[in-house]
Amino acid sequence: MKFMARAVQQALNNILRNKTVNFLCLGIIAFTLLVPGIFNYISFNLDSYISKLSENIEAIFYLREGDNSADIEKMLQRIQGNLLVKEVGFTSKDRAQMKFTQEFPELQYILAEFSDSPFPASINVKFRTDARNVVQIESFIRDIEKSSIIESVQLNLDWARKIAMIKKFASFAGFFLSAILLIVSIFIIFNVVKINIFYRRDEINILRLVGATDWYIKTPFLLEGLILGFLGGLLAGGLLLVTIRVFPVYAKFIFNIVKQLIDFRQLPLRIFWEMVITGSAIGLFSSFISLRRFIKTTPG
Amino acid sequence: MIQFFHVYKQYFRSNEALSDINLSVERGEFIFLTGASGAGKSTLLKLIYKEEEPSKGQILIDSINSTLIPPGKLYKLRRQIGIVFQDFKLMMNRTVHENVAIPLLVRGDKKAAVEKKVNSTLALVGLSHRKRYLTSHISGGEQQRVAIARAVIGNPKILIADEPTGNLDTELSIEIIRILEKINARGITMIIATHDMNLINLFPKRIIKLDKGQLVLDKASEAV
Repeated sequence: MKFMARAVQQALNNILRNKTVNFLCLGIIAFTLLVPGIFNYISFNLDSYISKLSENIEAIFYLREGDNSADIEKMLQRIQGNLLVKEVGFTSKDRAQMKFTQEFPELQYILAEFSDSPFPASINVKFRTDARNVVQIESFIRDIEKSSIIESVQLNLDWARKIAMIKKFASFAGFFLSAILLIVSIFIIFNVVKINIFYRRDEINILRLVGATDWYIKTPFLLEGLILGFLGGLLAGGLLLVTIRVFPVYAKFIFNIVKQLIDFRQLPLRIFWEMVITGSAIGLFSSFISLRRFIKTTPG
Repeated sequence: MIQFFHVYKQYFRSNEALSDINLSVERGEFIFLTGASGAGKSTLLKLIYKEEEPSKGQILIDSINSTLIPPGKLYKLRRQIGIVFQDFKLMMNRTVHENVAIPLLVRGDKKAAVEKKVNSTLALVGLSHRKRYLTSHISGGEQQRVAIARAVIGNPKILIADEPTGNLDTELSIEIIRILEKINARGITMIIATHDMNLINLFPKRIIKLDKGQLVLDKASEAV
């Protein structure tokens, strides 16, 4: 406990001693975390939007004429048993005609021409609200379509597919940019810790000679990286929140286009903590690498 | 206490700094290590506290072969040895108290114990009145005494001093050696590197003389 308190104190002293370098470093970490944060935020919102849209994914399987009810019952059970399915219903030929009559009363005269209902019986399926299962839904539909009692299927997934494409692109671009910026961030913290090690090289040497353990010497530097990363993450989270709030005011035109897709009212806590944790991890990792490289534990 | 067996030291692409050194130092001895500049005094001291490794030979410290101590366990050896450096190696932006307390702090000693020990050690070297001074604000002689206080505060078995009087006038040099004698009287083995023959003549101790890396004299308690 005493050891950690001293190490934290030492780390804070180091940060304050080289204010300019450390605050510059903090700003760069915050910026490098902000960019992936924005992409993460967009991706999160698109995900929510796709989920919302996916509540309406519905397939209608039209049945062949003359099928018996035993086969239909079996098919209903099969569909109901699938984990992707939320709701399943059967519409008979007569029911389909009744619905048509109710929805389009002015076209009733057409039906007078038919002795029997001209509409096919159908099975209506509503799927669960998980857009990541779009591929599975399609595969499931293809499977059902193969059944001899199915005449055709009607499904509209185009809009979900397009949103999913945008999300995929945002995730990829976000990942690519994040990777580059995170490397930059690691490089910067690595060098800041290196500068601090250089600045304190005499002190480190003295500590080694009076019998300090490696961890006694290294812990403050590790904490320094951790603190810088943590503060950088907090700052990035704050900047992202400001960006979200300010965007609708200063970019009204774009806001009007994307306001249905993106919720500009709040920053999900998950994204905020992801930024803080990523920042801390980068800080710790960079200082660890720097210490391995610049603090010798062997004599000479 | 300290034994050298056929110890050689050669730095990269240079002549041998030490050549076939054999010596034995008993517990509680006071030794002057002398020789001209470049004779190998500092190298010999660095081998004892393992700042350097011998190119050949074995060094036993308290019956432990120091060449076999892994880097991760080096701190155990260093805690048994107090070192006074020629350039003091003090933290100039810290107070006298903070500098002297370091060896105890790295061991995790309690604050009250550290305080008590720092006070008694500063009294031993006559620096109680400078306790709260910044090290950069005291004289060279006082800085030397801070370095000695730091070296002895952890109750080492061995105290090594590399030219502890190198930057001081004769009067101050004598004062420093007297302090070291007081410390030696507590049973701490003392090895003092110096090329000041006047000082060696004033204090009749065992003398080990090096010349171009070779041990040329090992003489007990007489003026040279």
